[in-house]
This record gives sequence, structure tokens and C-alpha cells, in this order.
Amino acid sequence: MKKYTLYPGCVMQTEQYGYELSIREVFPVLGVELVDVENFSCCGEPVKSINQLLTLYLSARNLAIAEQQGFDLFVPCSVCHFALSECKNILDNDGGMRSRVNEMLASEDLEYKGKVGVVHTVDLLYDHVGVKEIKKHVKKPLKGLKIASHYGCHLVRPSEIGRPVDSENPMKIEAVLEALGAETMDYAEKLDCCGGLLLVNLPESALTKTGQKLQAVEEHGFDGLVTVCPWCQRMFDSRQKKAGETVAAKLEVPVFYLTQLLGLAFGLDERKLGLDLNLSPVDKLKV
Amino acid sequence: MSIKDLTSMAEAQVELREEINNRLLRLQNELSDYCFQCAKCTSGCEAHKLLELEPHKIMALLKRGLIDEMVNSDVIWTCMSCFKCRERCPQKVSPVDVLFALKNLAVMGGKQIPGNYTSMLQSILSMGLIQDVQEVQTRDMKTRRREDLGLPRVSKPKDASKFQMVLTKLAVEKV
Repeated sequence: MKKYTLYPGCVMQTEQYGYELSIREVFPVLGVELVDVENFSCCGEPVKSINQLLTLYLSARNLAIAEQQGFDLFVPCSVCHFALSECKNILDNDGGMRSRVNEMLASEDLEYKGKVGVVHTVDLLYDHVGVKEIKKHVKKPLKGLKIASHYGCHLVRPSEIGRPVDSENPMKIEAVLEALGAETMDYAEKLDCCGGLLLVNLPESALTKTGQKLQAVEEHGFDGLVTVCPWCQRMFDSRQKKAGETVAAKLEVPVFYLTQLLGLAFGLDERKLGLDLNLSPVDKLKV
Repeated sequence: MSIKDLTSMAEAQVELREEINNRLLRLQNELSDYCFQCAKCTSGCEAHKLLELEPHKIMALLKRGLIDEMVNSDVIWTCMSCFKCRERCPQKVSPVDVLFALKNLAVMGGKQIPGNYTSMLQSILSMGLIQDVQEVQTRDMKTRRREDLGLPRVSKPKDASKFQMVLTKLAVEKV
């Protein structure tokens, strides 16, 4: 068993329970042990518009807590993964900023040393576990299902700080889906944004983005959409009905977390994967 | 400590004003050196079609010194932070980060913060997370709480007062 500290962020552990449930079910099957740690906080990215130093401090604080455990940090949220990666990038290259942040961390007896790596669901599956290992556990292949993948902006860009996937043509989710027996297809809107971060101040526009992408997925004839970020899922799945109203369309796109599809293909119990919490019509798909 | 302390430091402070002015000057100097108006940022911008955000025009206006106008405009709040502009800029200007800086400056200058940012910030201050633990609905309209699902306790700052203390200090420090 390889050990990782799980960083749950805000959205997943306060609302998107389907992601957390399926992560906790699927990774042990793949030989990955997840370690829970107290004392984490928000990564800071959602309030970067207000105060960037606050964002940097919050990210550094979380990394410093993870360092006390010593295992690499598994960050399932793309937004958190971006914030922590950017923080690492800044503090590892800017000694001045690093000592400034460490001065502040000292009040909680924390120190950032830059010792832990940060991984996301996609590279944990594709690079650390590997497609070969995943295939070994498939009991119910997702045959005949054509699934669209949505990576989420924060996971894909910017490549200069090191992202787990290619910035213009990411294919790792497709590789995992194909290992599960599903079909994949490239589509023009694949890299379009879910609108999630705009929900804070311009909800109409945010939901329009969501609706437009879901319409495109429907028009391309996909059976479903897969996400790897709680912010994206809460737009495409939790708010699909609202998004449909916003773009004046009746949307019926089943939306899953990648880890939920893994669980289904592994023959795990739907309930344990939190599938009853998906609000999009996932029953349409008979796996 | 209130949100106002953290975000605006409402009283006019000479030192703060100087700091803001210095940052504006730096912003302007760097942009003048690098951006050559290829508009690659705008061609990929997720907020362009929907909300008429045109990053290259904002860069041009900043170069011409219209910084206060940009800090006070609503358009800087339409960015979805998709990072396509930062990825694709051949000059590494990173309009998305310029927009973050402009928004930070607007907040520091005491401009009203749009949307739910304030409540998210308040929640981070009080419990370390952007929102409290939610009850959710299943597809067949049943209510589920986190603990019903067998999930462990949420991870949040153990010592809330120490956590808040640092954030207060951060507010006083210059961004």
C-alpha cells in the first residue's frame, strides 16, 4: 500500500460527498492508502480576488501541515491543486517570500520546507497507479458507453507551474476511461470552462457557461460527462437543472466523477460511491 | 476583526496609499515592456463572448496609464480564471494575474466587493473553510448529512483563535 495524505479542501468535504465517498472506496482497491489529517483549511484560491497574499499564506499553511506527515499530498480538487502547486512554485523559487510566509507560519508552529509533492486524482490514477493496474480490477466493463471528459481549467493550466496533464491536448482521463471499457471522443468544447468560479459574483453568466457546454456534450451524442473537480461537478451535476433553465434547454446529461465510474466498473456498490447524490439523470445509464 | 479590517482598512493611510501607488507604477512599467497587443489572450478568453472581457484591451489601457479607471471598472470582475491567457501569452504577461492584482487593489482602496466573496471570507475567518458543512439531497429528495454517509469529521483549523490571529496580521501587512 502506498500512502498519501488526503487534502479534502472545502467544496468536497462540505457538499460534494459523492467525490469523497467514491475516492475512499476506489483508491484502497488500487493499493493506495489515504491518511486523514486534522487542521487543514481552505486553499485560499476562492478569495484570491480579494487578497493574493492571504491565498498564498493559506496554501503554504496546508502544505506545511502535510509536511508533518511526510507523505505526498493527494488533492482531488483541481482548484486546490492549482493553488497548492502555485504556492509551491512561488515559495521554492522566491527565498524572500518564503521566509516572510514562514515568519507568519511560526505562530502556529508550522514551517514550509518544500518537502511534499502534490498529486491530483488524474495523475494519481494514470501516473502513480497506472492503466495496467486499473484494468486488473475491472469486473463490469463500461461497454458501449461514450463518455465526454471535462478536465477543468485549474488542472490543465498554466503549464509553467507544472500541471498533471497537457495544457492543450490532455488525454489521461480518456486513457483511464478506455481502461474501464468506455468509449471516448475528442470534441471542440472539451477545454471550455464550467463557469464555476464566476458563480460567486455573476451566477447567470456562470450558469450560461455550464449550460452551453452541457448542450454541446448532448449534441455530440455522448452518453455522459465525467469530471474530476468538485467545483465543475457542482455546476454540471448539482446545478444542471438551473443551467438548463438559464440557456432555455431541457438538459439530461448524466454527470459522474471519474472515481464513481471506476467504482462502477470495479463492481462496487452504487450507494457506497455516492451515486444517489448525483442530481443529473445518471439512472439513464445502465452500467 | 471585521471583514472591513481585512479587506479595505477603511481609514485612509498614507503608507497604504504609497504602497498602492508603487504597485500601480510597477504594473504599468512591466506591461509597457512586454505586451505587444497580439490579442491571443482575448481570442481564447472564456469570458470574452459572454461578458465582453477583452484582456488585451485592458493591457493597452493600463499601458496608457488608465489604471484607476480599470481598478474601478466592473469588467475586471468578469474573469473566470481559466488561465488560458496566462498559458498562451507569448510574452508571459499573464493578464489573469494582472486582473487579480487590479481586483486586490480595488478591494484595498475600499471599493465594494461584489457577490458572495465577503461571506466566503467571513466563513474562512470563522471556521477556516469557505462554507459550513451542508446537508445535501439525493436524487429522490432525501436529505443526507455528512455523518449519515459514514464520512469522517471535516478537517479544519484546530486552534481557531491562533488561525484568526495570523489572518489579522496579514490584513495589516501590505499585499
